[in-house]
Amino acid sequence: MAGVLPHRSVANIKSPGGPNSGSGPSTPMRPITSTFASPSSLRADEDIIVIEFDTRKLQVGFAGDSTPRGTIWFGPDQQRRVGDFRAWLPDYVTDWRQRATGDQWGKDYELWQYDIRDQDLGVVGDRAERALREAFTKYLLIDSRPRRMVCVLPSGLPVPLLSAVLDSLFSRFQPPTVALLSPTVSLAVAAGVRSALIVDLGWSETVVTSIYEYREVHCARSVRGGRMLTEQTHDFLAKHLSQAPKEPTQDNHEQDREYVLSFEECSGIAARLVWCKPSQTSAAAKPAEGLPTVQEHDECEEVQGTSPAKEPTVVNIPLKSAGSPMSLELPLDSLTEPCENAFFDTRYDSHSSFDDHELPLHVLVYRSLLKLPMDVRSICMSRIIFTGGGANVLGLRQRIFGEVSHLVQERGWDAVEGKAVEQLRANPKLKRQATRQAGHGSTGVASQSGNSVGAEQDGVWHDAANVVPEVDPIEEQLKGGTDKRPRAQGEMRAIESLGAWTGASLITHLKVPAIATIDRELWLQQGASGASRASEVDVKAQQRQSLGPGGLMRGASAGAPWTLGIWGTS
Amino acid sequence: MAPLTPYTYIQCPCSDPSNLSYSRASDSGSPIDGNPGFDDEEHTFDPRAPRSNYSLYPLEYLLYCEDCHQIRCPRCIAEEIATFYCPSCLFEVPSSNLKSEGNRCTRSCFQCPICIGPLSVTSFETQPDPNLLAAPDHAAAPHSGPYALNCSYCHWSSAEIGIKFDKSNGIHGQLAKLRNGGTTRLTAKERKERRKDILQSGGGGGGTAPGASGDTGNDQQAIDMETQFTNLKSFYQGQLSESTSGGNGLSSLGDLGFASPTSLSRIMSIYTGGSLHDKKSKSRVGSMREALDPNEGLIVADLDESAAIEKLHSEGIDGTVDTEQLLNQPPYLGEPHLHGRSRFGSELRPIPYLLRTKRSKRCPVCRHIISKPEAKIQTTRFRIRLIAGNYVPSITIRPLNLNDNNGAAGTPLPPTAPLPDTLQPLKPAHFLLIFKNPIFEGVKISLATPAKTPGRFASKVTVLCPQFEIDANTDVWDEALKDDGARRRGAGGGRKGDERPGSTQGQQRAEAGKIWERGRNWVSIVVEVVPASLRLDTLPTEGPEGEKVDMSPLKEDEDVLEIPIFVRVEWEVDAVGDDLGSSLASSRDKEAKEKRELAYWCVLGLGRVSQA
Ligand SMILES: [Zn+2]
Ligand SMILES: [Zn+2]
Ligand SMILES: [Zn+2]
Ligand SMILES: [Zn+2]
Repeated sequence: MAGVLPHRSVANIKSPGGPNSGSGPSTPMRPITSTFASPSSLRADEDIIVIEFDTRKLQVGFAGDSTPRGTIWFGPDQQRRVGDFRAWLPDYVTDWRQRATGDQWGKDYELWQYDIRDQDLGVVGDRAERALREAFTKYLLIDSRPRRMVCVLPSGLPVPLLSAVLDSLFSRFQPPTVALLSPTVSLAVAAGVRSALIVDLGWSETVVTSIYEYREVHCARSVRGGRMLTEQTHDFLAKHLSQAPKEPTQDNHEQDREYVLSFEECSGIAARLVWCKPSQTSAAAKPAEGLPTVQEHDECEEVQGTSPAKEPTVVNIPLKSAGSPMSLELPLDSLTEPCENAFFDTRYDSHSSFDDHELPLHVLVYRSLLKLPMDVRSICMSRIIFTGGGANVLGLRQRIFGEVSHLVQERGWDAVEGKAVEQLRANPKLKRQATRQAGHGSTGVASQSGNSVGAEQDGVWHDAANVVPEVDPIEEQLKGGTDKRPRAQGEMRAIESLGAWTGASLITHLKVPAIATIDRELWLQQGASGASRASEVDVKAQQRQSLGPGGLMRGASAGAPWTLGIWGTS
Repeated sequence: MAPLTPYTYIQCPCSDPSNLSYSRASDSGSPIDGNPGFDDEEHTFDPRAPRSNYSLYPLEYLLYCEDCHQIRCPRCIAEEIATFYCPSCLFEVPSSNLKSEGNRCTRSCFQCPICIGPLSVTSFETQPDPNLLAAPDHAAAPHSGPYALNCSYCHWSSAEIGIKFDKSNGIHGQLAKLRNGGTTRLTAKERKERRKDILQSGGGGGGTAPGASGDTGNDQQAIDMETQFTNLKSFYQGQLSESTSGGNGLSSLGDLGFASPTSLSRIMSIYTGGSLHDKKSKSRVGSMREALDPNEGLIVADLDESAAIEKLHSEGIDGTVDTEQLLNQPPYLGEPHLHGRSRFGSELRPIPYLLRTKRSKRCPVCRHIISKPEAKIQTTRFRIRLIAGNYVPSITIRPLNLNDNNGAAGTPLPPTAPLPDTLQPLKPAHFLLIFKNPIFEGVKISLATPAKTPGRFASKVTVLCPQFEIDANTDVWDEALKDDGARRRGAGGGRKGDERPGSTQGQQRAEAGKIWERGRNWVSIVVEVVPASLRLDTLPTEGPEGEKVDMSPLKEDEDVLEIPIFVRVEWEVDAVGDDLGSSLASSRDKEAKEKRELAYWCVLGLGRVSQA
């Protein structure tokens, strides 16, 4: 045996010319390469790696750090073979049409698409692996000893994609455990709050998630995201290039789109020059609801808000991917148009004509708040966190905030929208709860274990008054005694979060056990199908374990049920 | 389009889909029924499959484990770090520094944020004054501050972002305390000190005291992310230690990321006392309060970006940076969250060089070292490096002109000759594959190719001689000592031991089952291809099982004719020398030979097929 270590490929691949000899090899159910000998003995215990996965990028760093040590953006060059250096060739930039037109435009820049029908999940795993390898080597400067990992993954990630990523992690990097954290909860932690309204202006979609007491209680999505902004930027530039593609029809965003500029160029211009008009409604007088905004929008030269007295600024936009190098001279004010179309779509004057999945962002946020029970809403609206790439569009956060404030002013919370809310409102028990809570004021409710659940829940903001505060003499004097400050609620307020990665780093550093902690052995044996629903897992048992000698995050041991948390419920 | 130089790629066996578990594209987490489904009867490697790009390597990128007799690629190797060093100053960095100081050089090594060229520290005083340089005695006029970081390529200077340094050394430390624009930034410690001072100077009235108010106000306005993090961390630690003493301990955050319903039903259950909720988190909620002010890490967002929009108007595109420049920026927490302001050139920071590592590589199975760099940072040499090219036969491809009627027929094009532009569809073309054996034993090679290449456009492939032997890579000197006559089987009168079967010169014919030419440690064989037409209208309207056929336009590189070849290399070695088996072997049969084999998929890129 010593000499001939038969490796799998020889055993499995049929000999040349002949049919395969016999049936399949007698491998275990989930045959992950056993090439790697007992990694546990060589584990590097000191560092826990925190990885945040996103559609466009991943960020890596060590738990406890304030910021990730590096970011890898997904792009076409990572998909090439090792040793393929064509990206260095001079005409590579202008050759983009060969690589990505039609519905492939920009897809190379995404790790995954949530619609998994046309996706090779293996490629997702491979891409994730390659990006991680680069990140580990370039930014973390670590060797290949197994390390525990914490992954922040979008809460809406389909299980097959999650599974592909975990397969790749476990089989290629051998972490003893991988803990999963949701970005929304991490964002709340990184902002110092327990409840929040997270407005994630993400790449493929905008997701508004209501977090209440570290739980996602409501979630709404709109396809209006970074990708749409980039497409709108393209259409805008193409229109001015006068080789306009057929103006995309209103209800047809994806199909039959013709591209005259490369994705790279359009996303670059979107990031540099596209900005957002201030809310027209922030001023006292708001144009009547039905006022057609279409015309002024089309000739968009006139802006509201920024120094209308001045001459309109003209920017020179050099374009390389249009076939021959050229440049466009455009008023900077017109560069708000992609933003309007992508996020607000002022072509419509009433939001009733939108499908649920393409609501303008302010409507999306407003409706999300509307769907929350009153006191949850009251808490969440004072803790709005804008995040995602769209938060970098100058003026966009303020605009959304302004428009939502206006909607609230105009319609209050009584607008009849959504059946569920109706039911909530009709539920007498709930009403009682709410009034009781309101009546409590600052008297405080003890949050002892004997109390009713409701009391625990609304203990959020007055409970803190009962807690003996941190004994910091300076702090004490500064504040003038025990902390009796009121908690913000009922008013629109935006707060800053340090980001999901940093939240995850904090959570891990504070040794808070994550519930969805997956053990390598169990994953290799069972895969995603081995996971129990979150509700079936005995949290207490897990936590006891996590405090044991195995250390934090040492998740389920053999035999005990384990869970994928929120990802397993879909 | 430039003509394509023929190439060879090898698939590391570790990436063979049958070795990995996650080739289950259609399996969406459903229970695995005991049929792994990877053992398709027709397992042909498709170099055009998207996953192939992740498993193919040029031979030069591969290593080899002598003990396991296996190819090792960057994905199946265990790495250990020999040294950390800065690529700019070449100083070695102790590994303990990495944790505390981070992954970048903390000396004065910076890259230009515009062009990533190296930055150098120059004095403001001396730069504009050429007389000083000409002055006879430099020492008499010592450079004095302030200093700036300058790029000698694009002439960017840190002065452009308002950053100047008092001293010419310790730039990293100085820079950490400077914000763009030149204002100094308080560290978390200094902030705390300051607060204490304010307090002691009698302004205890809670931040509204005159004199102190401006200061605290500024602090809160400008609270940077680093400070927010520090405040947040100590706030949580305080809260957790409190609740620990209260008996609730770590579990107070215990439900993070857990039980997140995306429907209203769950929140209903909260209100109606649903069972799920209280079972999970009895009484823990509320044992920790939220942060309430900047000192605890709560920062109210300033959404007003009109100043930045103004700036965009006044500076236009030239005031902004491109994607590449933005991505090269190191993470910087010395400011409040920049959001959209990060696009401005005025927000760029000099980039401290990322540290690099020298790595030893081990076989993950037997732990033997297969690559070990020289310890000295300045050298790029290796003490040990088992490159696969020393163990695995190399394949060189050369177009072969068989159909030409003039005298050149039958001769491979010399390596220097210009390559034919394209392959003509449906017209047979020939290539010579030259296999060279690097090891000291003779090897037997068996090749297998699919008769038609996988993918939409199936070209026909015939390897005329799929099995042959190559002689050992004996020393050239040994060779000369041997009788250089007819020592080869069936050899013609090859010069210097080379062999040209069936030919004296010129008119050579490719025959099935026969090699083309043989040398000391190499053999060439002929492969015939009939390239497919790339016209979409030649594609069948539906697949063999009635599925839809991909009628999308030609994809990138789909016009390159690539053929997958499964290569099996077999050879024998003396059993002696094997530590474990040596005594055994000698006691048994001295002539015991050990059979070895190596098998892998290979991809040969032959050329572009004409689309005309
Ligand atoms: Zn080995
Ligand atoms: Zn490998
Ligand atoms: Zn250095
Ligand atoms: Zn430069």
